[in-house]
Amino acid sequence: MAKMPIETAVRRSDAIAKASGTQKYLSDMTFEGMLYSRMVRSSIPRGIIKNIEVPSLPEGYYFISHKDIPPEGKNELWMIAKDWKCFAENEVRYVGETIGLLVGPDRNVLANLLDDLIITYEEHEPAISIEEGLACKGGAFVNDTNIFCELEIKTGDEMDEVFNRADRVFEETYRTGFQEHVHLETNSVACVQEDDAFVIYASAQCPFYIRKSIAGLLNIPYDKIIVRQTTTGGAFGGKEHFPDVLAGPLLVAVNTIGKPIQMVFDRSEDMEFSVKRHPSRTIIKTALDDKGAILGMDIDVVYNVGGYLSCSFVVLQRGVFHATGCYGIPSTRIHGRGVATNTFPSDAFRGFGAPQTLFAIERHMDHLANFLGRDPLELRNEYLLKKGSLTNTNGHVYEEVKLPEMIKQITDASDYWRKAKEYGRGTGKGIGIALYNHGGAFTGNGEQMIIKGHARLHKHSDGTVDILVGSTEMGQGFQTALRKIAAQVLDLDLHMINYDNPDTSKVPDSGPTAASRSTMIVGKLVERAALLMKKRYDSEEDFHVEVEYEHPEGFPWDQNTFQGDAYLGYGWGAAVVEVEVDALTSEVETKGIWVSHDVGHPIDELLIRGQVNGGVIQSLGYASMEKMENKKGYFKQNSMSDYIIPTSMDFPKMESFLVDNPYEFGPFGAKGMGELVFNGADAAFCEAVSRAIDRRICEIPIPPETIVELEIHGN
Amino acid sequence: METKIDFTLNGQQVSVTTDPLRRLLDVIREDFGLTGTKEGCGEGECGACSVLKDGKIITTCMVPIGAVGGSDIVTIDGLKETEQGKTIIEAFADGGAVQCGFCIPGMVMAAEDLLRSNPHPSEDEIRKGISGNICRCTGYDLIVESIALASERGDGLW
Amino acid sequence: MVSTYIPKTLEEALIIRKETGARPLSGGTDLMVQYRRGIGVTPKFPWPIMIVSNLKELIGINETPDGSLCIGSATTSSEIAASPLVPWHVREASSRMGAISLRNLATIGGNIGNASPKGDLPATLILLDASVVLASVEGERTVLLDDFIYGAKKTLLQDDEIITKIIIPKPARPFTYRWYRKIGTRRANAITKLSLSAAITIDEKGVITDFRASSGAAGPKIARNKALEATLIGKNVEDIPSLLPSFLADYDKIISPHAMPEYRRTSTKRMLEYFLTEVSKRPSGEIIE
Repeated sequence: MAKMPIETAVRRSDAIAKASGTQKYLSDMTFEGMLYSRMVRSSIPRGIIKNIEVPSLPEGYYFISHKDIPPEGKNELWMIAKDWKCFAENEVRYVGETIGLLVGPDRNVLANLLDDLIITYEEHEPAISIEEGLACKGGAFVNDTNIFCELEIKTGDEMDEVFNRADRVFEETYRTGFQEHVHLETNSVACVQEDDAFVIYASAQCPFYIRKSIAGLLNIPYDKIIVRQTTTGGAFGGKEHFPDVLAGPLLVAVNTIGKPIQMVFDRSEDMEFSVKRHPSRTIIKTALDDKGAILGMDIDVVYNVGGYLSCSFVVLQRGVFHATGCYGIPSTRIHGRGVATNTFPSDAFRGFGAPQTLFAIERHMDHLANFLGRDPLELRNEYLLKKGSLTNTNGHVYEEVKLPEMIKQITDASDYWRKAKEYGRGTGKGIGIALYNHGGAFTGNGEQMIIKGHARLHKHSDGTVDILVGSTEMGQGFQTALRKIAAQVLDLDLHMINYDNPDTSKVPDSGPTAASRSTMIVGKLVERAALLMKKRYDSEEDFHVEVEYEHPEGFPWDQNTFQGDAYLGYGWGAAVVEVEVDALTSEVETKGIWVSHDVGHPIDELLIRGQVNGGVIQSLGYASMEKMENKKGYFKQNSMSDYIIPTSMDFPKMESFLVDNPYEFGPFGAKGMGELVFNGADAAFCEAVSRAIDRRICEIPIPPETIVELEIHGN
Repeated sequence: METKIDFTLNGQQVSVTTDPLRRLLDVIREDFGLTGTKEGCGEGECGACSVLKDGKIITTCMVPIGAVGGSDIVTIDGLKETEQGKTIIEAFADGGAVQCGFCIPGMVMAAEDLLRSNPHPSEDEIRKGISGNICRCTGYDLIVESIALASERGDGLW
Repeated sequence: MVSTYIPKTLEEALIIRKETGARPLSGGTDLMVQYRRGIGVTPKFPWPIMIVSNLKELIGINETPDGSLCIGSATTSSEIAASPLVPWHVREASSRMGAISLRNLATIGGNIGNASPKGDLPATLILLDASVVLASVEGERTVLLDDFIYGAKKTLLQDDEIITKIIIPKPARPFTYRWYRKIGTRRANAITKLSLSAAITIDEKGVITDFRASSGAAGPKIARNKALEATLIGKNVEDIPSLLPSFLADYDKIISPHAMPEYRRTSTKRMLEYFLTEVSKRPSGEIIE
């Protein structure tokens, strides 16, 4: 039988069960004697809890709070930082902070109890926006400055000197808003006791994160907590750390009550009381010489972290490292700060900090070109990173950068040059282009120093092989990609390879399913394990092989100074978007979308298309319609009719290209791509609208209301 | 106040005695264990809980069971047993329409509803036909293509 | 616990309504959502409910002997959108309401009774001078829809009444040109941010004999001003371009600035201007797009 090339599309192994509704998600599962729970949350953005008046509880109903954490345990969730409490004890920092759980058998009774439970507070003045956080409105509540985290990186000459030399300076401020994940399956976790262990069933990206995060609540060893990932109905970063916020209280409750307990958020809870993408403010100041050449960029990045740090410093780092986009700028200084505010903590969301700064740099390049009277694409082309270019952390680009080829693909397919010229500015028609990249896997040497991922393959006597990894399928197709990699190396039919949702008691820790690292890093581990297995496959019956991550030589990184190679490699992208703005209503109709991506070598062309299509549409939603406002600490949008995401009618079918650029350290040459595809269509959309209405657009989302304001009042 | 409600569910005559204001969605999932019908939003916006009621697609999170007496309800658990259902499901699998999968049973119901009234829809008609069903993973292109594939493969079925 | 009723006839429903004050629930698309309480939890209403979606007396579309159209209050948006008997404006609005699955449930009576400023059907029905028929055990009364909905979520419905029918009178002469545009939050499955319905009738001499415009989602109630409409009636269609500036300025004044911030005012003005300008060119099609 002729071997198919790895990229040839196969049918996903989970497709039939999901499409026919037989696949069980957490909310479809019940456990013997299972109780339900409702979260009791802070109803104010900032203050001190004075009193909790719990209504009289019928037999079999419980109120669980920090008081139920045993004396040997600590009331903290260990995400990246340990600041986020499992239950608020005294201080509350945001609307929706967990105060307790109501637990019992009947959800109607629980809903009534929740209505009758009264909490009184001493209310303090909250800080909501980035500016209010920086100004320490109501007094600082983190450090003395509300600055949770901060970093600065520099290349080239000192900024003061660069700006002294400058002939002209171009400066603008860019802003992005909250974005909600809207995974169709809401956050869902259950906890049950099994022998002497607690089993957490969770719709989650990172089973090992949950285990680490919550074990300290009871001060029990990791092996007394087993996390079983349940089939996960979308995540996008929203289920990276956030499931800890459900699993922690449930663990405490099950420890107290001794019965299985389930918690499934309804949509309004999931909207109002879950993590979001960090709102951002980026100021880019560019020094230009008398010929209009860029001398340097001074960039100030601020992310709204919310009430607790969680993983925000890592998000901020990625934002800072992507702040100069796909360009080599002679001298740079990038200062990043994460500011504390009294909003729901911001957290991981596809792109993990990169989309905000990439939006800023792409808008900056467009406006800078306009300022200089030049074509935006020509200006970009002049500064494109190339193999060997220095990055903004004084590291290097190691791979060939195929952006010129990718730009050609999409400008040809979209007829970009003709349209750009023909449409002109302010005609109601516009076309825009954006370039973007995404550093694969954990920052710097994090894969080596922090994660040290493992993968194991087990061959059974019937010849089938189990893939045992801690990485999860959440819709992206990872399960299928891994099985293809193993099957291809072992030269076996796909059906001979098994992969089950991970169970932390059965699989090794492969690291989180995040950072576009799963195929690139864990896929490589599986490829290596499969190569080892292949040598023994024919001669041995029942055995397993396990491999550990090995960091390639020659990628220096200092995590204290943030100097060196921030990433081993990058995915690259280019997007063209064409729009028409309605002359009467200023509604924007997207007429065409053309994208090209360098994802190394594709593992499955159909999986890639699905990821590209989904990521690009999410990005276009972010740019156009996904508006989440926080007024005085409360999210104004709390349902899927208020917070709208794209339907099948909002954007046309897109044309998607790939360039083949095999990556040395990835399986079959693959590198990360899940986040890359989110990183640039937003900016291309804004540029298209910007040209159509002849106004600068520095902020997303850009609904028709804002377009009319710009049309009437100008910039 | 419990009321007895008789209706047809996936071809079977059934009866429940329950609060008439309970959502049809909860009754389908919990009283009959048909968990293929999903809850995505609880307000009729996402289409994950879609079923056919008397041959028309509806979102079950908005319907009190008291309004269902005498109706004919077909859920994904019923549709998947039919030739039409199988054709759509197979096409979804082959066409790469399924990612996280949570919206897909509702999307299959929408495809069935569309193909019943229009067995050979154009791309625009397919987009319109599934516009009440929200998917956050796929960006819809592969779902649209998969429905076209189902229409082609199932020629004559609808 | 609040009671729930499932009457089998309109007569029974009217008695229940009189005796218990139970409110009618038809499609459920507003009430079931507004009073939802989470997964697996029964919606909780502050008053008794009666489910009327299956009352045959309330379903159907037919022409009356005087040429008016009568739509039963429990008729769904899908049924209305599909009926050739229904005037164009109402069909358009029906077919653009929410999602298909919602249109299969949502009823015209519910859309009116809910009296949401964002409701899609009232804007077109008010354009057409529609009335509602309200029934009680005492009898029936007919009220102009524009009067019936007197504010956001506010109607003249009495505690013992049920909306049974909607009557749309036939205009004296068929409209010469028609306009309907809904601006939704997105391109499909959307809540209305703003709508404009308009119609004009021009006689053989080019004189405007009828002109109407109504704005939906434009404030606490549908914005329609007959006095202002009348300023164009009797004028020649060729004079529209010269009349437009003052007409639009006056129209702008009747729009509440609180309810209609810049975007809605601007879009309304642009749409009206466009419609009237196109009309003055006397195009061949009846529908202005």
